[in-house]
Amino acid sequence: MLQKLKHIYETKYKLLMIIPVLLLVLSLMQLGIQYKTTGDFVNKGISLKGGSTITITKDFELSPLELEESLQQQFPAADITVRTLSSAGRTTGMAIDSGLQDTAEIDILVKTISDNFALQKGDYSVEVVGSSLGNNFFKQMLIALVFSFLLMGIMVILYFRVFITSLMVILAAFCDIVITLAIFNLTGMKLHPAGIAAFLMLIGYSVDGEVVISSRLIKRQDGTELERIFGALRTGWTMTQTTLVAVLVALIFVQSEIVKQIMLILLIGLIVDAIVTWIQNVGILRWHLEKNHKKHLGK
Amino acid sequence: MSTRITKMLVNWRVLLLVTLLLSSVLAIKPQIFSVEGVEIHSMAVSPFLTEAGLSNPSGKVMPTARERILSVNGIETGSVEDYYAAVSELRANKTYRIETNEQVYTILAPPSADGSFDLGIKVKETSSSNLRMGLDLEGGTRVLLQPASEISEEDMGTTVGSLKERLNVYGLRDIVVRSASDLEGNDFILIEIAGVTEDEIQELLAKQGKFEAKIGNETVFFGGKKDITYVCRSADCSGIDPYRGCSPLDAGYGCRFAFQISLSPEAAQRHAHITQGLKTISEAGSCYLSEDLTLYLDDVEVDRLRVGCELKGSSTTDIQISGSGAGATQADAMTNALQNMKKLQTVLLTGSLPIKLDIVKIDSISPSLGKEFLENVMLVGALALAAVSGVVLYRYRKIVIILPMVLVMLSELVLILGFASLAGWNLDLASIAGLIVVVGTGMNHFIVITDETLRKEAEAIDWKIRIKNALFIIMGAYVINLGSLIPLFWAGAGLLKGFALTTIVGMSVGVLIARPAYAAIVKILLEE
Repeated sequence: MLQKLKHIYETKYKLLMIIPVLLLVLSLMQLGIQYKTTGDFVNKGISLKGGSTITITKDFELSPLELEESLQQQFPAADITVRTLSSAGRTTGMAIDSGLQDTAEIDILVKTISDNFALQKGDYSVEVVGSSLGNNFFKQMLIALVFSFLLMGIMVILYFRVFITSLMVILAAFCDIVITLAIFNLTGMKLHPAGIAAFLMLIGYSVDGEVVISSRLIKRQDGTELERIFGALRTGWTMTQTTLVAVLVALIFVQSEIVKQIMLILLIGLIVDAIVTWIQNVGILRWHLEKNHKKHLGK
Repeated sequence: MSTRITKMLVNWRVLLLVTLLLSSVLAIKPQIFSVEGVEIHSMAVSPFLTEAGLSNPSGKVMPTARERILSVNGIETGSVEDYYAAVSELRANKTYRIETNEQVYTILAPPSADGSFDLGIKVKETSSSNLRMGLDLEGGTRVLLQPASEISEEDMGTTVGSLKERLNVYGLRDIVVRSASDLEGNDFILIEIAGVTEDEIQELLAKQGKFEAKIGNETVFFGGKKDITYVCRSADCSGIDPYRGCSPLDAGYGCRFAFQISLSPEAAQRHAHITQGLKTISEAGSCYLSEDLTLYLDDVEVDRLRVGCELKGSSTTDIQISGSGAGATQADAMTNALQNMKKLQTVLLTGSLPIKLDIVKIDSISPSLGKEFLENVMLVGALALAAVSGVVLYRYRKIVIILPMVLVMLSELVLILGFASLAGWNLDLASIAGLIVVVGTGMNHFIVITDETLRKEAEAIDWKIRIKNALFIIMGAYVINLGSLIPLFWAGAGLLKGFALTTIVGMSVGVLIARPAYAAIVKILLEE
């Protein structure tokens, strides 16, 4: 089985490139549909989009974590987080943040909580909060990303002095972000500001793999081309494995929903990156080297 | 083996790593043994504290070097609860002793109507290291403001903008300012700030900041960009007034400050028009105009300046603004004067808020799930490290490779945290994400170094070239990543700055110091 896969990988690399291309096309479609139906490319969470905060100023014997879990089960779509409030070293109450902005919806949440804890009217307060980030945040983010990609491209050209690698690195980072974003949307989770950082973290991980292949394939002359590819694949696979186990461990054991989200995005991104790097980019490079080879032979 | 260890210890790359590692540990200064007392977090500005010589702790002081209260009125304060219990016993009209790790202060509790006395010092548990946590990890102050009357959406936007600007001018970090509304449709403004005293914020926010300069009953100019085109904040044209300086008062000292501003041509024209009609008077050999220039802040007179005759009818654009501050000692008076100056400069720069704001609620926030969160993150980090070590052990099956790999990776983490302590960064969730990237790419690079030096094809190649090949890949990944991170500095809301900064510093430390040291160690340990 493994030998067969290896054989396909060695000989049918052009055909295999359909997989990443298809993934990219499907992802772009998903983002398009997402934008058309919701007006945004991504499901924004409360801190990106705004929501409400219910503050309870009464003592009760439930840890914020337990309350959070129970409320999350009852209101799975409301994106609920609970934190404790303290003053002068004493816990004074709890704050329940949710993505709810609609009065009727908030009333239901408030009723559930006050029924559970036998709260009187004066024991809690409700605020509806606007977005912490300006509306043009995502626009700024996109501009920054365009500059990131351009600068990355320039650095690659300066470093490797080969245009094709520059294209590869940018393409890989672009595909990683777009495909991961589309899959993230399909999970139905809502994006937290720290999740944005996770998408940028993907660039860092993706670059490492691209540089290993480019160096081995373009700068080295030892062994055949395929030997060099498999050498690079071995290194790349170890790299992906170590990151994957770390991310999986974190995903299982971490309590914070925010960190969990970062890890989930990284997990999706790493798998996407493996496909993009080892099928798409290796394919492009081999194609490029083959063409060069033929040119040399022609001369 | 022993020769290899000696070789390792004299290798300059390893030596550099070890030296920086030790300096980082010194900078982080983890408090392994428990420290006596409770740390002073903030204090209210009240005369009895100033007279006793107590003042608000500066944000620049390293967390472990902050002043700690050891006892209040003879009662030891081993914990925050102890402290507040001791303070609740204090009554008005008495003398108390407060002992800190630096000195003993004597406080005269002033008389009060009901006999109660509020010391006004807030404390927290002593810092366990010099690392500073951001608002989402450590908590901070949260203020809810309500406009005193109906406010339009446009005015709300302007108010939020001016408040942000004001807090920034005041040098506060980690600020969130946003508009909010409740179910009845009332508008609020919500502000969150990490580790700042409630009083400072209270004073700055509740003031509408209406600044007016009048001659007689006529207004010459208002605070804000329309009338004031420039406010000097550099040392050459702002600070303690060099001609009048500080002098002793009946009780304590008083200091004068002064700074330059530039008026718009329209405001200058008004000045010319108003002063044109004034009489001139002679006083102590100098010639002045009959009316003074009076400065008002929120309708309260803050200073009164004489106007020289040469300014009569002139449309001058350069004006010097002055004021004063008082205190028990000369140093206190100077600090107060400079603080007043900063406040005045801030309102002159940002102008008045379109509306007066009332503070509805002000409270200290605890971090999201608190200590639990940090402990959990550390546990997860340790588990992830174990899992990663397992993978590389399975792949390379040599403890001489795994051990240095894990040790160097850990030292990379310590180097970044050491840097963060020295630079006074607030570690928040985004910078933790940055740390994860650095550690992750660091692991990648250790694998690259190991593979480049140990792979079969490389056996024929000289060790120097093997390492050169490995470092070529790592350098490449580094410069390309640098390219992708730099634009993030300017991308919205400052949210990604922490991420970009931590990642850049971490990668630089890793690529320039730790990873070459690992390469050197591998070479020494495995070279035949």
